Amino acid sequence: MEVIKTNYTLVYYLTNTVGMIKINNLNFGYSKHKPLFKNMSMQLSNGHIYGLLGKNGAGKSSLLKNLAGLVYAQSGTLEVMGFTPAKRQPALLEQICFIPEEFYLPSVKIDSYVKANAPFYKNFNHSYFFELLKEFDIPANNKLIDMSYGQKKKFIIAFGLATEAKLVIMDEPTNGLDIPSKAQFRKIMASALTDDRCIIISTHQVRDLDNLIDTVIMLDENDVALKASVEEITNKLTFKKVKELDESIIYAEPSLSGYNAVMPNYHNEDSKLDMELLFNAILAEKIKFKPLFN
Amino acid sequence: MNNTFNINRFGLLLKRQWLDFGKIYLISLLVVAGVLIGFYFWNTPSLIKYKNFNNVMQFRYGLFLTLGFIFISVVASSYFALLGQKARATLELMTPASTFEKFLGGVFYTAIISVATYLVLFYVIDLSFVKYINAHLTEFKLDGDNNSLVKPAESITADILNDENHLKYFLHFIAVPFLITSIFLLGSVYFNRFHYIKTAISVMIFSGVATYVTYKTASILTQGLVYVHHEGNQNNRDSTLLFILLITSALTLIFWTIAYIRLKEKEV
Amino acid sequence: MEFRDNKAIYLQIADYVCEHILLGKWKADEKVPSVRELAVEMEVNPNTVMRTYELLQNKNIINNKRGIGFFVDENATEHVKTYRKIQFIDDELPVVFRNIYLLNIGFDELEAKYKTFVKENFNA
Repeated sequence: MEVIKTNYTLVYYLTNTVGMIKINNLNFGYSKHKPLFKNMSMQLSNGHIYGLLGKNGAGKSSLLKNLAGLVYAQSGTLEVMGFTPAKRQPALLEQICFIPEEFYLPSVKIDSYVKANAPFYKNFNHSYFFELLKEFDIPANNKLIDMSYGQKKKFIIAFGLATEAKLVIMDEPTNGLDIPSKAQFRKIMASALTDDRCIIISTHQVRDLDNLIDTVIMLDENDVALKASVEEITNKLTFKKVKELDESIIYAEPSLSGYNAVMPNYHNEDSKLDMELLFNAILAEKIKFKPLFN
Repeated sequence: MNNTFNINRFGLLLKRQWLDFGKIYLISLLVVAGVLIGFYFWNTPSLIKYKNFNNVMQFRYGLFLTLGFIFISVVASSYFALLGQKARATLELMTPASTFEKFLGGVFYTAIISVATYLVLFYVIDLSFVKYINAHLTEFKLDGDNNSLVKPAESITADILNDENHLKYFLHFIAVPFLITSIFLLGSVYFNRFHYIKTAISVMIFSGVATYVTYKTASILTQGLVYVHHEGNQNNRDSTLLFILLITSALTLIFWTIAYIRLKEKEV
Repeated sequence: MEFRDNKAIYLQIADYVCEHILLGKWKADEKVPSVRELAVEMEVNPNTVMRTYELLQNKNIINNKRGIGFFVDENATEHVKTYRKIQFIDDELPVVFRNIYLLNIGFDELEAKYKTFVKENFNA
């Protein structure tokens, strides 16, 4: 019994401390004169849903493409599950589920698409796939070409998750989904997070996803401006409504009944992270946040 | 897992590519068949006009070469064309097969399948027309002498295989269709849009420059020299043919290599 | 479930669980939904629910039977009440006190109001 317990702990230790993604001094840009990332370094591990935030053009999609091996960095190293994505090796590709913002689907039936593509993924889970289609209200005998943008998006999400890939990368997944679909999406993602999976979602619509994200990654000025778990953020900062502004407030936005404010968490309060407010706060007062999250 | 080549995965990839590529391919094959039948229909000899079929059927060679060129070049230039569109390129590049397998798929469809199906199609149509003509041979009678029949027609394949000269040319130009497909395959991965036109223009410019440079260097090297005709003409022609075979094969391999490298470097 | 703006999500989920226990929907020694099930229902990250369950475990409201899942503690109702009482005194009472002070409401008035409220709502 004791041995089993030790092994269990060891497995837990391994799966939780081994970085799934290691980025070291990454330099990337579409032209030499305009770098997008300068010496970016970061580690991501499994068992998390990372929310990738940033202004337009901050490089959210580019970072995701780097992870998927769709673009090549100028220098630095990038490692995903021990592989270099730029080599585009099948062993890694079958472990990546990449949902791009703009996607293409051939004009075939769902059935023939699955027959042609699923065999590439040795862990493809057919029953899970049909479960997801059902959850998303997509009839399984539909022709892909006849579906709306939102339905197609739901289809590729269902297919991607059914591959049982360890790394799930989604670029603006809720774009084009209607309100019920967004709720279905949140439910599906909540159940898709397993200990051995790493999910990265870039989004503008933080309100769609803020309860789904457990770690925030914010890109700004060619680098990672913030990478912290929701727990860490709310330990260090308080988000609350105040009537008047005072010294302790780092950043505030006027609201109906006063201000929505961010301030250091002096009194150990357990506030709810307002991701949109945090986003604007960091863009406006980057220097003040730096010492809080070394 | 072998990350460069795996026969099962390659098979899956060919099946998957057919799903996307097959429909357009079959349609163009149908168009080619239509054009072929049309040409044969209008050009086969009629009772009054012609006496000797073999002379008349000469149109086949031009048709075979022109249509063949158009067909295989169009097919080759459309194969990787989808990589020019971001959304499609993403799907292709993320498919869990190696770049080498994806490239080999391109070679398989554009060089092997397209050339082979074209040859088979042409052979079948040619043979059926020849068979048809020969079956109606008694209706073709020579002017003046009502009893003598015209010579039966021969299929283009028989025509080539039975003539030693024809066969020699045929064998030495065997790499040319592969060269054409390799150039247009490279064009389809190199350019993002208007692959066919851009490739065609590049080839024209390149061969224009090459011809000019060869001509210039030759005329500089031979300045003040007098051309002396000597025996061994036959030998000379043979070595030229061999040279053509070698150079077209080498160029094909070079263009395929560049296409593979470009595919590896492709970014979205 | 609709989340409010001012309280951490994991605490709101804790309130939800406590509510179910107090109302008798989840009874003592019964299995509570797994982390994943509750995360799906709430449309939140499973790690958030895990944090809730860790908190509730510390408060002896639920307990973890290794390999089987989480169960309602046999004295859960007691523990919920203690937990909620501390929460109320720490978080909500100061706001009420502030208003009582600012609006000058006497304790007699308050007591009368409280008794009527209990009578009307709980028939006690």
